[in-house]
Amino acid sequence: MKKSNKLYAYLMSSPAMLVLTVLSIFPLLFVIYYSFTDYYYLSSGKPAFIALENYTDLFADQYFRQALWNTVKFTVLAVFFEVLVGLGMAVLINSVKHHQKLLRTVTLLPDLLPPVTVALMWQIMFSNNYGLFNNILGLFGLDPVNWLQDVGTAFYCILVIDIWQYAPFVFLLLYAALQSVPQDQYEAAAIDGANAWQRFTRITLPSISKNIIMVVLLRVIDTFRLFDKVNILTKGGPANSTATITQYIYQYVVKRNQIGYGSAATVIMTVIVLILACGYIRENFRKNSAQKG
Amino acid sequence: MFKRSLALLLSGLMLTGAMAGCGGSKPSEQDTGAAGSDSAQSTTDPIKLTIAARGGTHVDVINSVLPAFESENNCKVEVLGLEADDLKQKVALDSKNAKGAYDLCMIDDPVMPEFCDTGVLLDLTAEGYKEDADFVKASLDIGKYPYAEGDVYALPFAGNVTLLFYNQDVLDSVGAKAPDNWTDVLNIAKQVNGKDGKVGYVIRGQQGNPIVGDYMPILWAYGGDIFDKDWNVTVDSAEAKAALQMYMDLLANGANYEKNDIVSAVSDGKAAMSLGWPSWYISGGAATASYARIPGKVDASSTDQPSGVIGNWMMGVTANTQNKDLAIKLLEYLTSAETQKSAADVGAVPTRTSVFQDTELSAKYPFYATLLDATENSRVRPRTPLWSQIEEAYGIELSNAIAGQKDIDTALADAKAQIEKIVK
Repeated sequence: MKKSNKLYAYLMSSPAMLVLTVLSIFPLLFVIYYSFTDYYYLSSGKPAFIALENYTDLFADQYFRQALWNTVKFTVLAVFFEVLVGLGMAVLINSVKHHQKLLRTVTLLPDLLPPVTVALMWQIMFSNNYGLFNNILGLFGLDPVNWLQDVGTAFYCILVIDIWQYAPFVFLLLYAALQSVPQDQYEAAAIDGANAWQRFTRITLPSISKNIIMVVLLRVIDTFRLFDKVNILTKGGPANSTATITQYIYQYVVKRNQIGYGSAATVIMTVIVLILACGYIRENFRKNSAQKG
Repeated sequence: MFKRSLALLLSGLMLTGAMAGCGGSKPSEQDTGAAGSDSAQSTTDPIKLTIAARGGTHVDVINSVLPAFESENNCKVEVLGLEADDLKQKVALDSKNAKGAYDLCMIDDPVMPEFCDTGVLLDLTAEGYKEDADFVKASLDIGKYPYAEGDVYALPFAGNVTLLFYNQDVLDSVGAKAPDNWTDVLNIAKQVNGKDGKVGYVIRGQQGNPIVGDYMPILWAYGGDIFDKDWNVTVDSAEAKAALQMYMDLLANGANYEKNDIVSAVSDGKAAMSLGWPSWYISGGAATASYARIPGKVDASSTDQPSGVIGNWMMGVTANTQNKDLAIKLLEYLTSAETQKSAADVGAVPTRTSVFQDTELSAKYPFYATLLDATENSRVRPRTPLWSQIEEAYGIELSNAIAGQKDIDTALADAKAQIEKIVK
């Protein structure tokens, strides 16, 4: 690259780099720094360097370990079912001949709602007093279930809500991918006598596999930060069975001003999310390189 | 070439703009919300005061009485209504600024020790404030640091204490009267539960603040507490175990609902009894359920203990206000007997004995007498800056117990270990 072109490239990207540095890199470096201190926001003294003490305390804390495990378990289950349901919806709606636009719009609605609205809406339906689900159970002569306060159901209720809200997001991306699969492949397969399942596994899935991987990565990153639903519906209970890392961090940083300890938990969460996002980032870099090449 | 030059020009402009945006220009007085020192203020320009308040009725109450103060003192008062956690966080963050954005703030009473200990609030006694004996003592004590003994840092703005709520029709259906001890509460719950699909007693067993606030009155009635007078953790005492057993017996003869379900169940006669905050059931002079002071006795023969959880909303002046004198004057105005009386119709709940006992208001708001009695017989949650951490850990272990994940002994032993770790 010529020297003038390099200068041009740097100058063009400098505003974005400046914004990125100020809004992302700088705060991240501060979080990493504070994670090695005992920084309590309201303290009049300066934060003391305590090396890895916050990290050792975190891993010794049974509530943090439980929150970490809950988050991982939730992420795996939520992403699996969201992709499964989203893919099913995409294939189904893509195959519909009439009113496809209407179906597409209606299917997307849950994803457009704010998480707080979603949580409150489902809280009313899960209500163990006048809730919709318990009324339905009542019609069959069954006892009401304490959906959000029972240790056997609370986690799965939040899981269902998350799937309901974000499967449409998966649908949107995979539906767009399906639009680009050449129709002549299906026609050729039909002439060769392939049935619907064979067409799906031999043509559809291989054609959109990269999109599925991208969707999985995006959903993993997002699901790992689950907060609103838990904070509104269960506050991490019952018996800490729905506590998540984000909620744990919220307790320490927002409610208790324990910036040092909360920063250490944040660093751990960021590292995990970065590891999970590695594939997506690498894929993006690879694509960019390929385009340049 | 032209496009390239244009792109370079735009890029340069954006970079300059971004750098200017990051510049360290001094914020204007309007930006910070402060209006400069009293002395620097022009005699004609109104001073601007900002109150960080708990959103909802409190904001309506404050706004309803502001015009008189504003015109009398040539000032403009802005009231910011915030959600409880948001309020605490914003006030805490602002406390580190040399010039505060807020002149007054509302404080949930468990937060008082933390805000006094860390210098967020102005010491009113040091500024010449004289205690007013008209405030209910239990309420005024919350505003002092150390608790009940030290200087005054905040004044009681809104009265609040947990009460026993019950459905009179449901109690009548089993021939019971309002219980004054926990054995009777349990007996009534046993009689009601399952009868015509009704629920005996509803606990608020959601993990965290709800379950702790719901269980503590029973713990206190049994003579237990979280700490003894020397701050040793006593959550696993014999009294505490008996209280938790009672709490679980009540659950076995009732249900575990969240707040909205509790209110509708008791109000509609689907459930017999629950504990709760007055604002859940009482609006204006009307109440959707009957109410009484929370029983402070285990059974009819035991000693009556203060058992309601006091939860006053306090109001203080921030230590970094630039309008100290006027802010203190506004605080005294907002908590005065006259203001509490005039704002009663907007939903103000008094904290002064004279207002509670005002003949006209008492006739209009019959719950005042019960609220005053309950406030005088209430207790505060432990006065420690670490309370929110303690409450969280305690709430998890109580939740473990009622969810059947741990037996009572294990849950309370674990709660003790966790609380000891926090306070060490």
